[in-house]
Amino acid sequence: MTAIETRGLTKTYGDLVAVDDLELTVEEGEVFGFLGPNGAGKSTTINMLLDFTRPTAGSATVLGYDTQTEADAISPRVGVLPEGFDIYPRLSGRRHIEFAIETKDAADDPDAILERIGLSAADAARPAGGYSKGMRQRLATGMALVGDPDLLIMDEPSSGLDPHGIREMQDLVRSEAERGTTVFFSSHILEHVEAVCDRVGVLNEGELVAVDTIAGLRESIGGGATMELTIAEAADGLCHVADDVDGVTDVAVSGRTLECTVTDSAAKADVVIALDDAGATIEDVRIEDVSLESLFTTLTDGDTATDSGQDGDGTTPATARSEVAE
Amino acid sequence: MTAHIGTVARKEFEDAGRSKLLWALVGLLVGIVVVGYTAIWYTGEDASASEVLGFLGFPLQTIVPIAALIAGYMAVVGERRSGSIKLLLGLPPNRTDVVFGKLLGRLAVVGTAIGLAFLAALVLGAVYFGSVPFVDWLEFAAVTLLFGLAFAGLAVGSSAAVSTRGKSMALVVGVYVIFVVLWELVTAGPYYLVHDEGPPVEAQTWYLVLEQFNPMSAYTTMASNAIEGTVFPFTFQYGLEDFEAAGMTPAERYAGDAPFYLQDWFGVVVLLFWLVVPVAIGYYRFKKADL
Repeated sequence: MTAIETRGLTKTYGDLVAVDDLELTVEEGEVFGFLGPNGAGKSTTINMLLDFTRPTAGSATVLGYDTQTEADAISPRVGVLPEGFDIYPRLSGRRHIEFAIETKDAADDPDAILERIGLSAADAARPAGGYSKGMRQRLATGMALVGDPDLLIMDEPSSGLDPHGIREMQDLVRSEAERGTTVFFSSHILEHVEAVCDRVGVLNEGELVAVDTIAGLRESIGGGATMELTIAEAADGLCHVADDVDGVTDVAVSGRTLECTVTDSAAKADVVIALDDAGATIEDVRIEDVSLESLFTTLTDGDTATDSGQDGDGTTPATARSEVAE
Repeated sequence: MTAHIGTVARKEFEDAGRSKLLWALVGLLVGIVVVGYTAIWYTGEDASASEVLGFLGFPLQTIVPIAALIAGYMAVVGERRSGSIKLLLGLPPNRTDVVFGKLLGRLAVVGTAIGLAFLAALVLGAVYFGSVPFVDWLEFAAVTLLFGLAFAGLAVGSSAAVSTRGKSMALVVGVYVIFVVLWELVTAGPYYLVHDEGPPVEAQTWYLVLEQFNPMSAYTTMASNAIEGTVFPFTFQYGLEDFEAAGMTPAERYAGDAPFYLQDWFGVVVLLFWLVVPVAIGYYRFKKADL
């Protein structure tokens, strides 16, 4: 059975196409990372899965139920950490968890949930209005975990968390996955996703540009690496030497440093040998896998350079188009 | 699926119970009662507790609607703007549960405030004026309660119907202004344009029906029946209509025996109308809305 399936899912706001003919399938039991720069349409997609927003065209199912006509069957089986949510400032953290337990008719112990998300008893007893962003995020995560959902949908779960909190969130995703829970979560930061995901889908400008495993993505972009060689003398003259090696696609020189892009792993040794034969003294070699970040940029920046300019920079925390997602 | 209305309503009431808003409303309504009763007692007027109860009619008809509108106009749209509605709808409650749970919660808040004010009136009447006009009190309290709930429903309906708090506020303020300030212009004005003269005391039936749909006069008509004396409606007069007519109920203005829909008790239907119809419209719009 599929956990999430969208068919031709489309949402337009006037002339703006927020989500364009999305065909996405998430299998039961997998951890699926939904990636894309801010404003790519991730939240709009998730909002349609949760029936917060209605599609302009197409349809979607969650756990086999239609998101529009059978929404009431979905919500008791799904844990949701929405984007741009707020807590009830006057109610205590504990009361939030209790409310989630009441609505889901679950048998959970509020204290056990609070412990899982790392909220102390003292914090849980005071009004949530005084919580930090990270604590609010934890609290909402706790509410999502109530009732042991079959599917967790988390929209930017790492926002507002410090590195420690992000690791805890990743641990939580892993432990939920071990319990058999399907996890679907979005992020605009790849490293938060790559550590825990079985598969990722990359969304850009409302269109799905890639769906693959992390390894598969790496491969599709060449599976290569960058070699950075530090030479004892000026490296200028060695540029063509490295470039002539089979499997090297690009060489950049700056001062005493040669930076080679290598698509074939075996070519790394060849580069070193070729340079040595040419009489160069190699002081240091550093090898970096193609970072997913650059892969991500390659996938999402492909043809956006000429666009309005607002969304060219996917790393800006909030672009104008993220407004659309609300 | 409406299984979660009660859960949402309880949370809503609990949330409101911690807000300064509820206590400000309770303080305001109870304060009016206490100040009014004490002032009448202090000036040494020789009044019965039942008559003093009647003095409450005027301040209550101005304060109760405003308090109820304030208590309700943010109910749904406030959560929509803050984003807590996503947390709520991410849980099993659906939009129906949200609207009606919130409605019940806010009605309970307004009802509590009115109830406490009338409790104060009962106690102070006994203490200052030595009697407990229980039947009058109960009837007056029930009418005032319904009056308050009508405006709370109007406000919650408005809060569900629109996407920003500003729009909701504009809507409830606008409606209140129509009831209090513009009603005569809205009803007698067109009549004047058509007939070249204002409506007479014994106006046509359709006009009387329209006229009585003002919740302010529906309230004062029924309140006047509940207590000794008369509660005059707090609405602006422009002289389009006979001044004599302004103080009369639709039943009094009708030549002969009034049909049921012009009798005083029909005010209950009028107040329920203002409770139910805005909620129905708000619910319909909220069901369709993109959040």
